[in-house]
Amino acid sequence: MSTYVGTVQRAGSRLVEPTSLGSIGVTIGVIAFVLAIPPIAARSPLWPILLGIVAILFGIVSASRGAYRVGFGAIASGVLGAALAVLATRSSTAHLNQVFTASLIASMLVFATPLTFGALGGMFSERSGVVNIGLEGMMLMGAFWGIWGADKTGSWVWGVLIAMASGGALALVHAFFAIHLRADQIVGGVAVNFLALGITGYFFVQLYHGNNIPTGVSQIPDVKLTSQSSHGFFADSFGHLNLMIWIAILFVPLSYIVLFKTPIGLRIRACGEHPRAADTVGINVYAIRYGAVILSGILAAMGGAYLTVGYLNTYNENVTAGRGFIALAAMIFGNWRPFGAFGAALLFGFSTALAYRLPVYSANGAVLFQALPYVLTLIAVAGVIGRTVPPAADGKPYKKQ
Amino acid sequence: MRGITKRFPGVVANDHVDLDLRKGEVHALLGENGAGKSTLMNILYGLYRPDEGEILLNGKKVVFSSAKAAIDRGIGMVHQHFMLIPVMTVAENIVLEIEPTKAGVLLDYGKAVERVREISTQYGLAVDPTAKVESISVGQQQRVEILKALYRNAEVLILDEPTAVLTPQEAGELFAIIKSLQEGGTSVIFISHKLNEVLEIADRITVLRRGKTIDTVPREGATEDGLAKLMVGREVLLRVDKKPADAGDVLLEVSDLHVKDERGLPAVRDVSFVVRAGEIVGIAGVEGNGQSELIEAITGLRHPESGHVAVAGVEVHHPSARRMLDAGVGHIPEDRQRRGLVLEFSIAENIALHDYNAAPASRFGWLFPRRLIQRARDLIKEFDIRGGGPTTPGGSLSGGNQQKVVAAREIARDPKVLVAAQPTRGLDVGAIEYLHRRLVEERDEGRAILLISLELDEVLSLSDRILVMYEGQIVGEHEPGVTEEEIGLEMLGARRKEPVA
Amino acid sequence: MSEPLAPQHGSEPDEIKQAPPSTVASRLAIKQRAGGIIVPVLTALLAFLIGGLLVLATGHNPIQAYWDIIKGAGLNWVAHPTNTDVANTAAYNFSQTLLQTAPLILTGLAVAFAFRCGMFNIGGNGQYLVGLYVANWIGISFVNLAKPTHILLAVAGAALAGAIWAGIAGFLKATTGAHEVITTIMLNWIAYWIGNYIFQQGGPLQGAANKPLNIPISGDVAQSAKLPVFWGDADLQGLHIGFFVAIGALVVFWLILNRTTLGYEVRAVGYNPDAAAYGGIRVRTNYIRAMAISGAFAGLAGGLDMLGYLYHFGTTDVQAASIGFLGIAVALLGRNTALGVGLAAFLFGGLLYGTTHGLQSGTIDPSLAGHLTEMIQGLVVLFVGADVLILAVWNSRRKLKRKQPTPTRAAEPEAASS
Repeated sequence: MSTYVGTVQRAGSRLVEPTSLGSIGVTIGVIAFVLAIPPIAARSPLWPILLGIVAILFGIVSASRGAYRVGFGAIASGVLGAALAVLATRSSTAHLNQVFTASLIASMLVFATPLTFGALGGMFSERSGVVNIGLEGMMLMGAFWGIWGADKTGSWVWGVLIAMASGGALALVHAFFAIHLRADQIVGGVAVNFLALGITGYFFVQLYHGNNIPTGVSQIPDVKLTSQSSHGFFADSFGHLNLMIWIAILFVPLSYIVLFKTPIGLRIRACGEHPRAADTVGINVYAIRYGAVILSGILAAMGGAYLTVGYLNTYNENVTAGRGFIALAAMIFGNWRPFGAFGAALLFGFSTALAYRLPVYSANGAVLFQALPYVLTLIAVAGVIGRTVPPAADGKPYKKQ
Repeated sequence: MRGITKRFPGVVANDHVDLDLRKGEVHALLGENGAGKSTLMNILYGLYRPDEGEILLNGKKVVFSSAKAAIDRGIGMVHQHFMLIPVMTVAENIVLEIEPTKAGVLLDYGKAVERVREISTQYGLAVDPTAKVESISVGQQQRVEILKALYRNAEVLILDEPTAVLTPQEAGELFAIIKSLQEGGTSVIFISHKLNEVLEIADRITVLRRGKTIDTVPREGATEDGLAKLMVGREVLLRVDKKPADAGDVLLEVSDLHVKDERGLPAVRDVSFVVRAGEIVGIAGVEGNGQSELIEAITGLRHPESGHVAVAGVEVHHPSARRMLDAGVGHIPEDRQRRGLVLEFSIAENIALHDYNAAPASRFGWLFPRRLIQRARDLIKEFDIRGGGPTTPGGSLSGGNQQKVVAAREIARDPKVLVAAQPTRGLDVGAIEYLHRRLVEERDEGRAILLISLELDEVLSLSDRILVMYEGQIVGEHEPGVTEEEIGLEMLGARRKEPVA
Repeated sequence: MSEPLAPQHGSEPDEIKQAPPSTVASRLAIKQRAGGIIVPVLTALLAFLIGGLLVLATGHNPIQAYWDIIKGAGLNWVAHPTNTDVANTAAYNFSQTLLQTAPLILTGLAVAFAFRCGMFNIGGNGQYLVGLYVANWIGISFVNLAKPTHILLAVAGAALAGAIWAGIAGFLKATTGAHEVITTIMLNWIAYWIGNYIFQQGGPLQGAANKPLNIPISGDVAQSAKLPVFWGDADLQGLHIGFFVAIGALVVFWLILNRTTLGYEVRAVGYNPDAAAYGGIRVRTNYIRAMAISGAFAGLAGGLDMLGYLYHFGTTDVQAASIGFLGIAVALLGRNTALGVGLAAFLFGGLLYGTTHGLQSGTIDPSLAGHLTEMIQGLVVLFVGADVLILAVWNSRRKLKRKQPTPTRAAEPEAASS
């Protein structure tokens, strides 16, 4: 099975392969944008535009040779890179310096973390053959029950554990209907989202009378790599990130290893590709799918728990506000692969971070950056999903004989 | 296996079936489609639970609650539709569920490859362990399936219609493999409905009919005729009664046709032929040699890369399904449930599938359901469709009657050309006879009939001319008197000729 | 270039490819024949039962709570149907229930129509929102027009906006095979953020009067664009003529599907796109057209709401809007039929109003009851998706009564045996 990492490694050895050309194009497109922002902050739009065009050319060549996915990626990267860079050159350097600081990286990681958890979760579920558009609901469950747990027990550890249990429980409902009752998995996912909205809303009123969670709830600690007072690029970006951010980053290679380098991963993928074949060699398809779906709920809930127990340290109704769907988008954008999903989560996290930061300096269009993940995914599925493949049996109920 | 009974809603698939298998023997299980062979084997392999009866292994009673239990007791099965995962490698497919590990939890892929290589040389089944299954040939995929069973130390190997997807020559190779396995002490159950194969390979033959064991006979003394009688319970009419063809004008002309398949690979390459009024032209070939793509191109369901299709002398430009229908091409598709019928539609709605948008079915986009029903009522009578009236959903009819609905719709449009793709696949003998007779009648009416079938018997008995297709090309053209062996060689591409002009 | 006429979703293992066609619509049809009216009714009852148990478990009286909700929805008005005076609480509440029913019918039809073409339109909310935006914009802008013209223009604009929004998903499915569930989800959120943009402080549709006050709400539509009210008072959210438009849409929906060639094509594609293509039907065109019609229903809902009683909209309204999502539950419970959608919309309309504004209860806090609606909605969708469960419950009950198993139809003997 060619893997994401495999693709990257091959790119090094065979540079004229269409996929490699596409990858180069993507990189050039990114560089086009990077040129225009601090610390380089080129003032002339010429270079970014030139590089953008080069990236687009690479994309066209590679797409025309059959590597649609990377090819269109390179074209998009070229267009966006050049466009954003031109916008950046028209802002004053001072503003740019304020927006593009090292803390933007920290901010990006903050926004990317729930997405990473959710996307990895969704990946496990879908790799086993169960479509999970209920990620949003599972994340929301984790967000509410996590902070409730942390509040009641006084310990964030218990909060996170309770969040994981709540997400797993909701996933179990989805799994039962999708696997045992062979209900339509999309309908089930929609239902799970409604349910989570209702349950968390109901209990928020019931338990907290709709008021805010009291302040001072036990919070997931930050990992301090540098002292609080030190500043500099590293300190501002990676110096004191929340523990959950590091866990999310750790989970990416871990998921890769589990999925592609262990027997259990092979079996999960077998269930998602051809469940009957897996069944005939004695794999318990139902058990694998239950496990994968519940795991997806647990992971999504960890994302939710990070949001409330780790980041906001409070809760308000429907606090996830679509992050579960962005996670879903990241998973698709990342082509059902751990590193791909993480890359997409970072990109989407970046656009959200920009949307929060830009309004302070510029006019009101910044809020539209929040829509960027959705637009990008829309473009990606249009160019990509039709051509590359999700797991073959994804979304198809399996009936034991 | 003793007294095995398995009931499905409405059918008794196995009715007190007995079967005994000796060590190192090849035991053929013979029967028509639907005789209950696959069900019996799925029970032995632990996929179905029998309602009655028991399985004894080496004299001891065993209960297989799952495939895993059967595998653990040394039973392996090669399914008719391969149970392989296309995107995974050969080695990954073979070791699935009993993967070698390193460091306790990690998959030892290197070791998997090595062990697959070992057993593949040990049994003389050459495959590349690192190749992806989707990239190897059907014959090789079958070897992977056999290796999968051997890797699990199978002592009993069940082969479910293993030759259905193979050319006669590939089948020969398979038989050699079976012989060598047999010498190694493996017992083989060989499921088939082909008499000649069974006689060639089996030591003993058990015949099933309508879910019951009819007899178990040794190969010595068994004859094709005798077995055929056991199989169907009466004399079989292998030949279709028909007059010699009286071919008239060219009604279908295909020239220099190139078509690509789903993956963008050439599937039909430079194919040219004609079909005249009043003749049946049969296309023989192993599955997947471009027949489906050729049919789809002729019926407008797939855009050809280049080439021309002319109906009654008029070339159809920019062919689409609609244009081909309007030009006078009728089409009995190869899969009536996937394409031939909308199973949820009533018979009346199904019959209107081509004409719903024209008078009298509709006018200015307004549909007249009563007219559809009236028309269906007439055709149900004419084609003797049983099992429901005009408002009965197509899906609740039996396979034979579904096919009659399709045939009724196509023939009632009075097409000049009728493309019949596998018109009798999966049907019972009565329905097969009806459709064969009907096709000959339509030929005699002066239609040009193009028959595509994977059943060589069917092509040989119905056709007035036979074309052989191999790797997307027409590699031979024959008169009806040709032998199976001659065509078999061409189906394998052994005697590639210049394409017939 | 040679390509299959129906969108392909990559290569599948043989076994899956050879299984009989299984689109959402075809599976649904099978279940529909099996379950009839029983399944939806049981589904709803079961959802209410579980909701009631939760209410009970959290220390409230569920029977009293449901009774209060029924009164909140004004259903007790049917006891005195002659009293149409909205000064009467029951009559007023009932008129408000109908006011909510109208857009639910339309968003329900939006989901149902796509369903009948084999697609799952989760994007009803986005289509509803863009309809709202456009109606608001036209309602504010063309103030010199005569009333009927202005209304027609705004309503048509809203429906068109919804049609385009959904049509994007249809177009992508037809041309690239992108799954409509993914694209409509994305389009929902894009519409959501567009709403947050256009109504925010300084946004293009923020009301002129609201700008200095820093309120992120649009201006009111002009008098000439407001729909006439036929029951109650326009200033008190009276019932507007959009209700009849919604009822009419039910009839149109039925006629299109069952009495036109367009509907025949939609159903054929929905049940079995391969057979439809073989029949000479252009599958791709149908995907785009069905999605556009579907979106037009949802956009219409947004337009009628804007011109009928909302008149203005703000960023918090965008964030709270869920009429389009409720449409999913309405369509599924209504089994994607005209009559079913009408009844289900009424049920949810009553629930929506009865648990929120209409609710005057000492038993259950309205903010609690509002979330009860969401849960019931979730349970309904969950159970509708799995009516195997409901049917099993129902059949086992029947079995117990008859003391003998009911004979079932031979399920594909071909597939079951060799």
